Amino acid sequence: MTRIASDKRSMKIGMAGAAAAMTAIGLASAAMAQDAGPVRIGLIYSKQGPGASIGQFLQRGSELAAEQAGMKALGRPIELIWLDEPNPQGSQQNMQRLIDENKVVAVVGGNYSSSALAMMSVANRAKIPLILPGAAAREITGKDCSRYTFRTQATVPVQINGLMPYVAQLGKKAYFITPSYAFGQDIVKSARAGLPAINGTEIGSDEVPINTADYSSYILKIRQAKPDVVIGGLVGGDFSNFLKQWNEMGMKDRAPYAAVAVTDTDFWDVGPQASTGIFIKPWYYNNPKNSAAEKKMTEAFMKKHGQPPSDKTWSGWIAMRALLESIESAKSTNPQEIVTALEKWKNTEDAFPYYFREWDHQLVRPAVIVKVKPQITDKWDFMDVLKNTSDSAADTEKAFGTKEEVGCNMPAL
Amino acid sequence: MLDILVSQVANGLVLGFIYVLIAVGLSITFGLLGVINFAHGAFFALGAYFAWQMFQWFGWSAVIFAPPLVGLVGMLLEATIIRRLYGKEPLLSLIVTFALSLLIEAVIRFVWGADGKPFNPPVWTAGIFEIGPLLMTKYRVAVLGATIATLLGLWAFLAWTPYGRILRAGSRDPEMVELLGINLPRVLTAVFGLGCALAAIAGVLAAPLWTVSPSMSANAVMPAFVVVAIGGLGSFRGAVVAGLAIGIVTALTIQFRPEAATGAMYALMFIIMLLRPRGLFGERWERFE
Repeated sequence: MTRIASDKRSMKIGMAGAAAAMTAIGLASAAMAQDAGPVRIGLIYSKQGPGASIGQFLQRGSELAAEQAGMKALGRPIELIWLDEPNPQGSQQNMQRLIDENKVVAVVGGNYSSSALAMMSVANRAKIPLILPGAAAREITGKDCSRYTFRTQATVPVQINGLMPYVAQLGKKAYFITPSYAFGQDIVKSARAGLPAINGTEIGSDEVPINTADYSSYILKIRQAKPDVVIGGLVGGDFSNFLKQWNEMGMKDRAPYAAVAVTDTDFWDVGPQASTGIFIKPWYYNNPKNSAAEKKMTEAFMKKHGQPPSDKTWSGWIAMRALLESIESAKSTNPQEIVTALEKWKNTEDAFPYYFREWDHQLVRPAVIVKVKPQITDKWDFMDVLKNTSDSAADTEKAFGTKEEVGCNMPAL
Repeated sequence: MLDILVSQVANGLVLGFIYVLIAVGLSITFGLLGVINFAHGAFFALGAYFAWQMFQWFGWSAVIFAPPLVGLVGMLLEATIIRRLYGKEPLLSLIVTFALSLLIEAVIRFVWGADGKPFNPPVWTAGIFEIGPLLMTKYRVAVLGATIATLLGLWAFLAWTPYGRILRAGSRDPEMVELLGINLPRVLTAVFGLGCALAAIAGVLAAPLWTVSPSMSANAVMPAFVVVAIGGLGSFRGAVVAGLAIGIVTALTIQFRPEAATGAMYALMFIIMLLRPRGLFGERWERFE
C-alpha cells in the first residue's frame, strides 16, 4: 500500500517535472522566436470619428520616429501595428488585442483621457509599457498613476496655470465651455482654482457632450452672459465645429477665447476666417526655439506629406523616440527593463533637458503659448508663438507640482 | 430670462428644421421602399464633400449640383445593391446599409483625406438679424428658407404630381402598380436617389456650419433616426413635427442642463415610444406587419 502510494507520488513528481520542463522549453523557444523576430510596437490612435485627423497626425509622427531610427530596434526590424481609439471600451479591447494577438513589446497611443484610463488598466495587468502622447487629465499621472504608463503631454493644471496670466490680461469675468468627461472636468477644476489669483470670477460653465455638432444654443448662452473671456477645452472635430459657429454668430471679435490642448488641425480644418484665440500647445512647427532634431523632423514630414507637422505629430514622434531610445539603452525588449530605461530617459536637445519624472512618469517639459495671427496669410502658419509656459528647468519642475500636489503613489515593478 | 428662452426656442426651431431635412429623406426611403437606410448619414457627408469640391472648382453657384450628383450615386447603388433588399428582413437592410455607410466614409477618407475641409458661409450671408430678444445669423435664416422651400416642394411633388401618386401607390401596393403597366423598379431607383439627394441637400446646407470631415455623418444619422422614430416611420408630417420638437428640446436642455443635451432627444424618443410605439404619426402598414 505504502509502496503504491510512493510510486504514485514519484509519478506525479515526474509528470510535474516533465510538464515544467516542457513549459520552460516552450517559453524559451517563444522567447527566442520573439528575440529573433521583429520588434512589434502597438499604436492606438483614432482612425474614425471626430479624432480621425488627430489620430492620423499622431500615427505619422510615430511612424516618422521609427523611420528615422532606420525601422530597426536592437538591430531587428520594427513592426508597427496601428489599431483604432474609438471610445474607452474599444480602445481597451484594442490594447488587449495588441498584447494577446500581436505580442507587442510596448504600446504608444491614447489621445483621449477617458480611453487612456481604460488602456492603462490593461497595460498594468499585462505589464506592458504604454506611452500616452495625449490624454491630459491629471489623474493619469496622479492618483491613478501606474508603473507601466508614461505621458508626454502636460497635465491640465500645468496648461491652465500657463494660460491664466493671459486670461488675466483679457478680463475678469470668465465663462467655461468644456467637454463633459474627465479632461473637461479637470479644466474647470483647475481654472476655478486659478481664478482667485487673478481676481477673476466665473459667470457661467457649460459641459458639452462629445460629438456635438451644433453649438448655437451654447453660444447664445455665452453671448447673453457677456463674459470678458471664454475658457475652453473642446477637442478635435467638436472644437472645429465650435470655432466655425463662434465666427458665424459674430463672437470672434466680441469675446476672446482661450483654451488648452488644442491642435493645429483644429484650425486647418476651419481655415483662417474662423480661427481665433490664445492657446496652450505642446509644440508648434514654426517656433524659432525648436531644436535641430525637431527642425529635421519638420523637414522630413513636409517632404513626405507635403504639409507641416502638427503638434500631435510631435507628440507621436517624441513618444516613439523615447520608447525606441529606451529599448536601445535597455538592450532588451523585456517590459520591465524598458520601463526602467524610460525612467532614466532624457532628451538634451532643447535649451534644458526634459525627461519622464521617475515618481509619476510625467514628461517634464514646458508647453508653448500661441495666439492666432491677426492676419493669416499662409495656408498652414496660423499662430504667433508668445512664450513657453516656463523658461528654466527649475521653473518647469515646479510647474508640474510636488509629489504631494500630484498625489501619485507609484507602485513597484 | 424670458428673452433667452424665446431666443433659444427660435434657435431650436432652426436647428429642428435642419434635423427635419436630414430625416425626411430617411423617412421617404423607408416609407416608399421599406429599407432602413443606415447609410443616410454617409450621403449627407457626401453632399457636403461634393459641395466643397464644386466650390473649389467653380465657386458658390456650382454648389447646387452637389445634391443631384449624390442622387445619381444613390441611384447607382440602388440598382446594384439596395434593390436586392426589397421584401427581405429589415435587419438585412440595416446590416447592408451600415456596411455601405462605412464604405462611403472610407471612400471619402481615401479621396479627400482624414482632415477637415475649411468651408465657411458665403460672404453675402455674413451678419446677424437681431429683433428684440431674437438673434439669428443671416446664414441660418437662409438655411431656414431653403429647408422650408425644399420641404414644401417635396410635399407638393408627392401630393400633387402624377409621379408622386405613383410613388405613394407603389409603396402601398407594388403589384397593382406593376399590373397598371408602370415600370416599378425604375420608380424605386428614383425614390432611393431622391432620398439620397435630400440627405445631400442637408449636407450642403450644414457644411458651412459643421466641420466638413469624413466623420460628419455620425452627427447626422443618429438625430435623423430619432426624428423618424418619434415622428413615425415613413411619415412626412411626423418627421417635420418630431424634428422641430427635438430642436426645441435640445436648445432648452442646453439652457438648463447643457451636459444632458445629447441625451434629451433620446429621452424624448423613449417617452414617445412608451406611449405610442409606432411614433406620433406612424400608421399601421400591412406590408411591414
